[in-house]
Amino acid sequence: MERTAPTAAVRQELGERVRLIAGREITFDGEGFFWDPHQWSEEAAAALAEEAGLKDVGEAHWTILQFLREYYFQNGRSPLNRQIKEGTGISLMEMEALFPGGIKYGARRLAGLPNPRNCI
Amino acid sequence: MKKVAIKINGLIHQFIIEKDLALIDLLRKDLRLTGAKQSCDRKGQCGACTVIVNGKAVRSCLTKVAELDGAEVITIEGLGTPKNPHLIQEAFVLAGAIQCGFCTPGMILAAKALLDKDTNPTVDDIKKALRRNLCRCTGYKKIVEAIQLAGRFLRGELKPDQVRPDSKQGLIGVSHPRPSAMIKACGVAEFAADIYVSGAGELAAVHSPYAHALIKSIDPSAAEKMPGVFGVMTAKDIKGTNRLKYMVPDRPILCDKKVRFTGDPVAAVLAETREQAVAATQAVKVEYEPLAVMMTPDEALAKGAPQIDPDRPNLCFTQPQIRGDAETALAKSSAVIETDFSTQTNHQAPLEPEVCVSYLEEEDGDLPTLVVIGRSINIHYHMGMLQDAVGYENMRYEEAYTGGQFGIKIDVTSEGLTAAAALHFKRPVRYIPSLMESMWLSSKRHAFHMKVRLGADAQGKLTAYSIDFTVNNGAYSSNGTVIVNRALMMLSGSYYIPAVQAMSRLVYTNTIWGAAARGAGPPQVNYALESAVDMLAEKMGIDPLEFRLMNILKPGQPKSTGRVVEQWPLPELMEAMRPHYNRARNEAAKINRKDGVVKRGVGLGTGSFGIGGPGDTATVAVELDPDGGLTVFGAAADPGEGNDSMLTQIAGYLMNVPMDKIRLATRTTDRTTAAGPAAGSRITYMLGGALADAIQKLKSAMAEANAATAEQLRAAGKPTRYMGTKKNEDAGPLDPQTGQGPSFESQVHAVQLAEVEVNTATGEVRVVKMTTAVDAGRVINPQNLEGQLEGGMDMGVGFALREIYINGQTKDWVTFKFPTIGHAFEMETIIRETPRAKGPLGATGVGEMTMVPTAPAVMNAIANACGARVHHLPATPDKVLAALSEAKG
Repeated sequence: MERTAPTAAVRQELGERVRLIAGREITFDGEGFFWDPHQWSEEAAAALAEEAGLKDVGEAHWTILQFLREYYFQNGRSPLNRQIKEGTGISLMEMEALFPGGIKYGARRLAGLPNPRNCI
Repeated sequence: MKKVAIKINGLIHQFIIEKDLALIDLLRKDLRLTGAKQSCDRKGQCGACTVIVNGKAVRSCLTKVAELDGAEVITIEGLGTPKNPHLIQEAFVLAGAIQCGFCTPGMILAAKALLDKDTNPTVDDIKKALRRNLCRCTGYKKIVEAIQLAGRFLRGELKPDQVRPDSKQGLIGVSHPRPSAMIKACGVAEFAADIYVSGAGELAAVHSPYAHALIKSIDPSAAEKMPGVFGVMTAKDIKGTNRLKYMVPDRPILCDKKVRFTGDPVAAVLAETREQAVAATQAVKVEYEPLAVMMTPDEALAKGAPQIDPDRPNLCFTQPQIRGDAETALAKSSAVIETDFSTQTNHQAPLEPEVCVSYLEEEDGDLPTLVVIGRSINIHYHMGMLQDAVGYENMRYEEAYTGGQFGIKIDVTSEGLTAAAALHFKRPVRYIPSLMESMWLSSKRHAFHMKVRLGADAQGKLTAYSIDFTVNNGAYSSNGTVIVNRALMMLSGSYYIPAVQAMSRLVYTNTIWGAAARGAGPPQVNYALESAVDMLAEKMGIDPLEFRLMNILKPGQPKSTGRVVEQWPLPELMEAMRPHYNRARNEAAKINRKDGVVKRGVGLGTGSFGIGGPGDTATVAVELDPDGGLTVFGAAADPGEGNDSMLTQIAGYLMNVPMDKIRLATRTTDRTTAAGPAAGSRITYMLGGALADAIQKLKSAMAEANAATAEQLRAAGKPTRYMGTKKNEDAGPLDPQTGQGPSFESQVHAVQLAEVEVNTATGEVRVVKMTTAVDAGRVINPQNLEGQLEGGMDMGVGFALREIYINGQTKDWVTFKFPTIGHAFEMETIIRETPRAKGPLGATGVGEMTMVPTAPAVMNAIANACGARVHHLPATPDKVLAALSEAKG
């Protein structure tokens, strides 16, 4: 039977990927977000930060990452930006500057929070 | 101008108005009486705007205020309030006649006009009085019953308290009124167009007149100078990706380089009024360079056909399914059916237009929050899509009350335009698209073309199934791959088929994009399978019911995916249906003995519909409140199915607290868990399961702390909030080469019996009765279950006989052939409750399965009546006559 071949970019868009980060296999979705937030570790966050061009993960970074994770497990979702600001006392503009990629593609990805799910 | 005095809801008002002012505008815009709804572009087709004028039900969109001097007008707001409702409002709530609630105010007022004249109307009287009021959710059965109940209330034979279930009856398996029903009955549930937005600009879009063309230039200068216009937005004004990425980023908010279907949006105008915005769209000059148009998969797959998407071939996805050696098994079979079937592109047809509101909510000294109020059934996912598309992260999505959706809101529609416009123009934006625009902005049910072969051995046991199906994906992908996979995951339907060979193709074309529509794939392939099953039974001379019973899958046997099932309570449903089947066959035989052109036929269809797909996960949080009540946090959209009932009744039952102490936080991204879409009939199974898990954790903590209250829990150092999870242990995709792999964790099963009459002279088909035997596990709320079944049967019959979406021809509810109360038929429901091993309290979902068996049951009944086998839906009279002619040879 014939079978078409979607481009590599399309395969990436559609599917998840497993990568070795800080010595452990981690499953990511097509956008580079953790599929399972329980696979996260501080070491993985630091390694991913370095990949993203953030060499020094400082106190403010960890404050935000820890808040994101605590919020996620308490509320079953990522916090809205306003809620991160309320929870950490750091302004949105400061947060945007702290993480390459900003809050969603920077901080949230490093914190290991998965994307909301779409279809079944 | 003209001055008129009108008594509205008991108070006399004087108005100085323009002569052409429609009553609906006076009510909705000037008096903020938003119970009168608007669906049909003021064509008088939907009845959602019905009010009473001088004792008569009128459509306020067609009624001029200038003609109402001295008149008395009653709107839904003048009838009763949630605390002091009118008896008709009580009857609609208690009869379960309210699902999404968009049509409800109009229905209730049409009923009042009738009951004011006659408190004991016949069913025919009711049908006549409500002939201009459309409902997509209920199949009209419970609306008729509600009016009959209201009549009994008004005649003093019965009081609402005698009908209303009390708490002593328990909370599970009892038809407690939906928590949201009364505010919908009173017209105070706010749909997106009903929300007051101070200073909102009104949006209108420029849509492509071409099905496939390059955009050479857009000149907004003339439009920008028109009265009331704030500005024109084009793709270059959108700061984000300008791509609404459901699975692949192929759909723009506003087209930038080219348009891919007639109706694709290319620019948007914001103005003080909608009329000004619409007028200005005509002045936006867009220069196009037309390209070759491919409306069908055959055209798109033809040699040399241009590629529609720059990154993906027109044949954008394929997935085989292979189990055993179907070719050999077919060759050895005693009987084989070989034929083809097709299903049409169809509109899901929620009554409410694709309305959306967006605005910026100021934050002190920081970035404002972009708030989007729309009709999403997956608010967290859609918010993420919008963040990327418009390039703004600080966002909140709120689900307004939603006038039906039936799959259409699996993807973003008007939200992209309003969100981008709110950012671009930096002012509140409201978009109330016309019905035709709403049809352009939203997805459609995919058209399938299916070539099938089905074989059986000499004993009548199915041996093999081969199906080759091509899906018209339309211009954009949305969830097209999911539709194909879902069709494959349920390919063998209710049956054990040892060998299966399938090939699926998803093809880009220049038609409107396809996506979810009630059932989302299985209704299409199940029509082919169940039709072929009947044809094979007939060929072998075996009764269709017996043939199905012989071949039903048994626990321990695999579906076509290879997944072995543990529960499959379908034979019991067949047996429950047997007496109805026998009765119907006898009645048909009696009628058909008479000479005449009208022939009666009886047909069966089955459905086994998967719920809780591979990898599906849901989370729900609960918090014990200070007064002993419970707040449930979870994004469980409720566009009419009754998810509020389900969550409230399960929570109340498990916590042993009354329903009025269960509070739901389900509609906004800043309070809810990201629980996945209200799609795939998964909310009861997945979110109900997560809710039960959360409550179990809360109760364990309370037991450990010996605490009965939130205060005691806190004193014991324990939290009052707990997170529950429901996760399907199966995960991962189907194998790309064999289509074998994981599947759904649970199934809902049904058998439907269609009784139809075919006029063999005209080809017209009348559905006399549909009977459904269903097993959806333990029933939480019987009335809600019946409501889903009845609405689904009505939708399934529309799909089978009438409905089709043809871009350019389908412009409103008349051209769509929306089912009216005049089309309504008798319905009966048989409920069996086999507890599902992993379902909350033993329950599973039901909303989509209800139309999965309908089309084949109707087609099988037509064939049974007169020998006409219709292979291509919808079975319009011309197709029935052609099939009849073919049958006669």
